[in-house]
Amino acid sequence: MTSPLLATAADTATGGRRRPLARRTAIAGLGVLVAFALVGPLVLADPAAQDLDRYLQGPTLLEPLGRDEYGRSVVARVAHATRLSLLLASACVATALLLGTAAGIASAWFGGWVDAVLRAVSEAFVALPALLVVLLVSALASGGSLWALYLGLALAQWVEYFRVVRARSALVMGSAAVEASRLLELGPGHIVRRHLLPDLRPVLVTLASLGMVTSILAMSTLGFVKVGLQPPRAELGLMITEAFPFYDVAPWLSIAPIAVLFVLTICFLTLRDSEETA
Amino acid sequence: MTSRRLRLAGVLARRGAQGVGVAVVVSVLCFLLVLRLPGDAAYRIAAGRYGYDLVDQEAAAAVRAELGLDRSAWHRLGDWLIDLAQLDFGTSLVTSRPVAEEVGYYLLGTLQLAAVALAFAVVIGAGAGVLAARRPSGPVDRLTTAWVASVRAVPPFLLGLLLVVVFSAQLELLPAVGHGTPASLVLPAATLGLGLSGLFARVTRDAVVEVRSSEYVQFARTKGLAERWVLLRHVVRNAAVLVVPYLGVQAVVLIEGVVVVESLFSWQGLGHALVHAVFWRDVPVLQATALVLALLIVAVNTAVDLVVLWLDPRPRGSGVSA
Amino acid sequence: MNPTRPAVAAVAAVTLLALAGCGAGADRSSSADVLRVAGPFEVHSLDPTADGEIFTRLQVTETLVTSDIEGELVPGLATEWSASPDNTEWRFELVEGATFHDGSPLTPEAAVEALEKVATVEASPLAEVPIEDIAADESAVLFDLATADLTLPAVLTHYSTAILAPSSYDDAGQVTEVVGTGPYEVTDVELPASIETAVSPEWRGEEPAIEKVAFQAVGRAESRALLAVSDQADVVFSLEPAGRSRVEGADGVRMESSLQPRTILLKLNAEHPILGDVRVRRALSMALDRESMAGAVLREEELAATHLFPPSLEAWHPDLAPLPEDEQGALDLLAEAGWEPGSDGVLERDGEPLELTLLTYPDRPELPALATAIQGALAEIGVRIEVDVTNSSEIPAGQADGSLELALIAKHFALVSDPLVDVATVFAPEGDDWGVMNWADPAVERAIEALLAGAPEPEAAEHRETIVRVAHEDLPLIPVAWYRMNAAVSDRVDGFVMDPLETTWRITDLSWAS
Repeated sequence: MTSPLLATAADTATGGRRRPLARRTAIAGLGVLVAFALVGPLVLADPAAQDLDRYLQGPTLLEPLGRDEYGRSVVARVAHATRLSLLLASACVATALLLGTAAGIASAWFGGWVDAVLRAVSEAFVALPALLVVLLVSALASGGSLWALYLGLALAQWVEYFRVVRARSALVMGSAAVEASRLLELGPGHIVRRHLLPDLRPVLVTLASLGMVTSILAMSTLGFVKVGLQPPRAELGLMITEAFPFYDVAPWLSIAPIAVLFVLTICFLTLRDSEETA
Repeated sequence: MTSRRLRLAGVLARRGAQGVGVAVVVSVLCFLLVLRLPGDAAYRIAAGRYGYDLVDQEAAAAVRAELGLDRSAWHRLGDWLIDLAQLDFGTSLVTSRPVAEEVGYYLLGTLQLAAVALAFAVVIGAGAGVLAARRPSGPVDRLTTAWVASVRAVPPFLLGLLLVVVFSAQLELLPAVGHGTPASLVLPAATLGLGLSGLFARVTRDAVVEVRSSEYVQFARTKGLAERWVLLRHVVRNAAVLVVPYLGVQAVVLIEGVVVVESLFSWQGLGHALVHAVFWRDVPVLQATALVLALLIVAVNTAVDLVVLWLDPRPRGSGVSA
Repeated sequence: MNPTRPAVAAVAAVTLLALAGCGAGADRSSSADVLRVAGPFEVHSLDPTADGEIFTRLQVTETLVTSDIEGELVPGLATEWSASPDNTEWRFELVEGATFHDGSPLTPEAAVEALEKVATVEASPLAEVPIEDIAADESAVLFDLATADLTLPAVLTHYSTAILAPSSYDDAGQVTEVVGTGPYEVTDVELPASIETAVSPEWRGEEPAIEKVAFQAVGRAESRALLAVSDQADVVFSLEPAGRSRVEGADGVRMESSLQPRTILLKLNAEHPILGDVRVRRALSMALDRESMAGAVLREEELAATHLFPPSLEAWHPDLAPLPEDEQGALDLLAEAGWEPGSDGVLERDGEPLELTLLTYPDRPELPALATAIQGALAEIGVRIEVDVTNSSEIPAGQADGSLELALIAKHFALVSDPLVDVATVFAPEGDDWGVMNWADPAVERAIEALLAGAPEPEAAEHRETIVRVAHEDLPLIPVAWYRMNAAVSDRVDGFVMDPLETTWRITDLSWAS
């Protein structure tokens, strides 16, 4: 399984021209969105509370983003959707990272049949489009369980970490420093802590920010094909799709989720680029 | 010469093994997942066949008996794998037509769409990349960078919706949905192509910048060759060596995009068929479409490997291909 | 200095021009004299028992009996029909001079061959008829029934009973080609999304004004609305509210609609530990602000279903007090049934929360939207609803294994032209996949039996009232909204009539506006 955005990690040769200003802006932007996602759901209205007599009401002072086709508060729904996207994406990235890194190190460390088996598995899986995997796994869940989304997205991403970590680890393991540590019998924990992880950290951070983008985009795409999510859950892609028929009569419905989606992904991409230069 | 032939054999063996691995993984995975889909397959299939107003327990029972859905799952999976080895894809549970015929039809649709999209992406992306590379950090370059970032940050379905709003709803230039006419191909292909073009632009730009500043191009210039020839003979060929491997990566992007874009534009292709097959639990069609989509990626990567081998016979490390 | 720029620009320009050129060319060629029809229904099979409705709608195939715009039975391929006094032997006299599109004549033998195949397919209503034998004489089709069945002519209006030519079938009896008797013949089929037809030279009637028809299946409702407003289709069926208002604001296209004999209703398990209590069912019904729902979701408050049957089914719409809306009353009823406010706003009884799962399906865009509205309305009185938008087949499956709690469905009450056939199935004491579940009432059973046996008029009206009144009070099915079938029709087309039964699209009645 592979995710295209991760697979293209090498397309960043121009990243060297990123300025620290861009990085700071991205961090600030993410900070604002995270704060919105964490605080918003606590202070705003119930995102599922309907007011059918006020459907498609325009923005007002009380409801700065207006109301949707069921008279629900759009600002509350965007806050919940942002929280969902961020939490689920973080969980998927963390899982894929742990799984992929562990498998990658194991492959480089043990070599032999462990490496052969893991590589054969990754070779076959790398040709499977991530969306296909997520689509199938999500179709498993009834009742809009988030577990399937999480599982599918995590499964779709671990291969990328595995491939990068395995290649990187093999280099590190062959280095003189590691040879020395081995001779000194400092133990595997020492080698992982002192040699592997410091070397892997930057590339893992890069992959992880890209993984956040992949997860957020994939989730919105699944919302679009209406797989894995059930009403009245607020999700960015689902909100964009639901708002589309009203793009001319109620543009405020689409603008907020589109803006959040765009800013989220741009910020993570900028972070990724600046991390590469660091 | 022999080393080249050896490497050719190596590429084919590696990709062949990958293809077989993919086939087994996809079929087993699809089958296990479909087994665990909620609900009763016979009802779903009956609904697909007869329309939901007419599905009842009798119709479902008739379907179950006809298709042998009451046999054990392992039994059915075994049958399917044996059939697959003989290249027999079986018949669709919903339409009762041969799967090979149906998937062939959808494959044609997807290939049409992908080819036009790729052409679109190459023309726009490579064009923009070459222009951007002429003056690194110039306005065109910055614009391209912004473009690349924006395209990356927008999921294909959103790009498609925006194009529909502009070109179909507002300007009324192009049909929003449909299949069969060249006009109905433009918007889906443009959606896919625009999504791909950003990466092409960036990779082309970097490749051209790198090659232009490299020693042998400088050397060719000092030899007094005309600028045009410098570009054609060295830049294009050497940039292609760097760009072509990305086609393999793009195949994955393309296939993923296809699933979304087809269902947005009602384009009759593999992605559309796949989503329907999941919905209707049409196991043979589901497995065949997923398999063909995955094998397409392997095929594109094989072609990419071969082109790279042809362009640049020097041994290289493993590339970026998927 | 700039050798690449012109080259790149030229390539780009050529590509764009080529693409645009293709587009413009195709638009011109397709719009000349072809009626372009779009609808949500994909066609997966040529078999009339599967996706046959599309071929009767496009007037490619015909049934022995058909229905007019009021839903009355009228001759189709049979000019007249009669039954023996005990209603077990039926005779359908075939129209003279009818020819299949392949040039072969419509003989009674050909009709019998087609009907015999249909009668073996469980999904067709014809399989429910107690048929002993179907036979041909020199000019008619004869049905021999095991027991009396007055509904046979109505059943024969169903699209699955359309008569195909013998050449439609392959050796295994599978339909490989649709060769019918209608005014239009199929010229091209690309399953699942496109069918093209043209006037058949074999057609026995008057030459239709529309010569060619191209049907396209478009699944997404918002895409269909775009087709309608941007003049890419002449007739577009089934638009959602947002699309409707866009069509109403656009030039050159208008909305047409007709109330269908279809009710969107909550089907429920009447032996469920929670829903088995009629007080709970009434409370759920009272909590629904049907007018606001219909107004917000369907954009038409009049569609709020105050009765089980819509007013268009006059005979089945007796004068009963509309179902009340009363939030406090609902809470009182629930309290009486033992449900008290618990923590987090959900009602509880003996520590169990009042939680139900509602299944619905996306085939009709209104359903998930209404389900969401119902979820919101019931949350107001402390009932938590999990909405599961899934495949429609989960509903019969849930009925079969008893796991179904609530389902929001759109039930058509005249699948065959006489609503009695559907009413009898919906209230069958053993339950029905698209009707009641674990609910039976002796009075209703008796009334249905009497009606099926052919009770004469003033008495029949009483029986109908009994059925409707008991259902109104006991609520084995909770009506939510009635259903309006709509279509966007281009001003290029005159004479459009919407058939509420959707038997045919009456393309032969259309003409090009001058």
